[in-house]
Amino acid sequence: MTDPIVLLQILWTGAVTASSYVLLTVAFSLTQKVTGLWNFAQAGTMGIAFYTMHFVLNDLGQPLLVALLAGGALAAITGMATEAWGLDVLRARRSGNLTFFIFTLILAELVIYILTLLFGTEPQTLFPSIMSPVHIVGGIAVSNWDLRAVCISVAALVALQLFLRFGKEGQFLIAVADNAKLAELYGISARRAYCVTAAIAGVLITLAMYLLGARSGITPNSAMELILTAVIGTLLGGMGRVFMGGLASLVLALITSYSVLVIGSRWQNLLTYGFLFVTIVLFPNGIHLPRRRIRAPVSAAPVRTAPQEG
Amino acid sequence: MRRHSIARRTLLQGTGGLALTGAFARRGMAQGKEPLKLGITEPLTGSEAGYGADFVTVMRMAAKDVNDAGGINGHPLELVVIDTQASPQLGINAANRLATIDKIPMFITAWSAVVKAQAPVANREKVLELSVGANAPDIAKLGDYVYTLFPLAEVDITALAKYTYAKLEKRRAAVAYINNETGIDAAKLYKATFEEAGGEVVLFEAYDPKATEFSGMLLKLRAANPDMVHVHGLLIDTPLVIAQMRQLGLTQRVSSYSVGYNPKLLAQLGPAAEGFIVTSLAPGLDDNKNLPAFLERWNAEVKRPPNGLPYLQYNYDSVLIAAKLYKYVLDKGQEPTGDTLRDALLAVREFDGPLTGKTVVDGHHVKKPVYLLTVENGKFVPMAKLE
Repeated sequence: MTDPIVLLQILWTGAVTASSYVLLTVAFSLTQKVTGLWNFAQAGTMGIAFYTMHFVLNDLGQPLLVALLAGGALAAITGMATEAWGLDVLRARRSGNLTFFIFTLILAELVIYILTLLFGTEPQTLFPSIMSPVHIVGGIAVSNWDLRAVCISVAALVALQLFLRFGKEGQFLIAVADNAKLAELYGISARRAYCVTAAIAGVLITLAMYLLGARSGITPNSAMELILTAVIGTLLGGMGRVFMGGLASLVLALITSYSVLVIGSRWQNLLTYGFLFVTIVLFPNGIHLPRRRIRAPVSAAPVRTAPQEG
Repeated sequence: MRRHSIARRTLLQGTGGLALTGAFARRGMAQGKEPLKLGITEPLTGSEAGYGADFVTVMRMAAKDVNDAGGINGHPLELVVIDTQASPQLGINAANRLATIDKIPMFITAWSAVVKAQAPVANREKVLELSVGANAPDIAKLGDYVYTLFPLAEVDITALAKYTYAKLEKRRAAVAYINNETGIDAAKLYKATFEEAGGEVVLFEAYDPKATEFSGMLLKLRAANPDMVHVHGLLIDTPLVIAQMRQLGLTQRVSSYSVGYNPKLLAQLGPAAEGFIVTSLAPGLDDNKNLPAFLERWNAEVKRPPNGLPYLQYNYDSVLIAAKLYKYVLDKGQEPTGDTLRDALLAVREFDGPLTGKTVVDGHHVKKPVYLLTVENGKFVPMAKLE
């Protein structure tokens, strides 16, 4: 098992498998950053995105692009509708954090329940076949699905980064995330920022559900387990640090994958819950890497560290 | 002319009425007396519903056939179906309800974890629990009121492991199994039998029942370099394990048990399923003259291929067996209770089912021939019959 090829294969497979979890975590973390809410209703959005794509592909017989567009559109609309007719109402009432938490959780369960009634509980895959052609690259098995997963995830994350950094609307999101009231004084609509965030989250979730559904069976209840992964990534990455949340999900998936070298496969999932427990208890604000200290130039005057008396 | 017309109409009505009366006479008899109830606990929702719902469909067909043939000494047979989601906890609730609220003396159930969980209820309430489809070996040791009408893993898994060593000449097997009642004992049995035959089990690995990612385990498998892989899982995970095996470039032949005998698995895996071996404990089309008509009826009524055909065959016959037990008890002038029905089961012992042939209940065991099937050109084809 210490064969370098095996180690590299675990690295590759773990990383590509994590790609969908990374997208889900980034969607969850971005929402948490901008709105300040733990939006568990995203579990419902996951279900809506997947079953819309499944319906368009298998019942309507439309091509994948149409399915993706339909799934993304409906997921985005659902997120925005939740914002406009749910969360915004609670904000207007100055509801407490617990109310928001319960509202999003109940909304997720409601959507899952409706999806169960509509589509049943049998696991469904997006396509009849879950196979994908495989290429051996330097002894490592690389499937077309792997390549697709990496390309889609990287493209989505780069696009998000560019949007947040250079896009006017993206900068508004950051401004609202930093201080919503101050941003509004400058004419930035917080409500609009929340809706844009919900739409972005809907698109990211749709891409993640496409990758997951192409490879394994999804049931309406799968979403609640997936949202837990996003929560763990967000906690580990540190609240408000969107891409660190995604990175945390990736690292968590790799640790879980490599753990098979020392523990049995049946214990792998326990690690996820173990990490959640440890993070909540020991790192409630996420794991922060130590910052490098900037050394002052020798010739410079000594830095004053305490206020002068007198 | 008018009079003649009326007379003809009257005649036609009379003839039609008589014909209808004849057709429904026996059914009418079955509806005249108080129904005899049979409890059914199966997963109608949840990840195993693909099988469970089909089991119930076929049991309803069997109950209809019993009632159309006049019922049980004039009593219609009524199925009381409760969803378990293949969950032990819901299974216990279902058994409790059947025994204490519905007062039903006998129920049919499935899924090893559920059968085991329900056993204490059956033994406490003295109702007859008939397991049909579950195959964990220790189902034979669950108490005086728990019996199986389906051969346990000791029959098909033992036969498969021996065949793999002796006929397929495989010497290094890997066993990947789901970490629950379905997988644990059966996997141990496969390992013991294969090693006893002279083979070596180079990897014996359990996976989490909720897992969807198996790459780590499969890389361990690749390092162990087996020449045969036995996967003992459920409907949702078995195709995923095989798919990810192939995606990692693992080309070893794979075997499983009757849960793998599923057309959906073939669709999901495509060419990757070629050579896949499954067991079946019910005779196929070549060995059972009633099966083509049954499949025709199934296709007409359900309009798609059945999930787990061998299980369906057993479930159909199990309702007929339950009806026979009721009849035996009634013919003896006894009250149908868990005790009298259990005594009937042990007294009759041999049942000739239209879809599974002769079933001999030998205490808590059932002996049947094992049919092996393999996938060739995208279809399950017979491979061997092991007595």
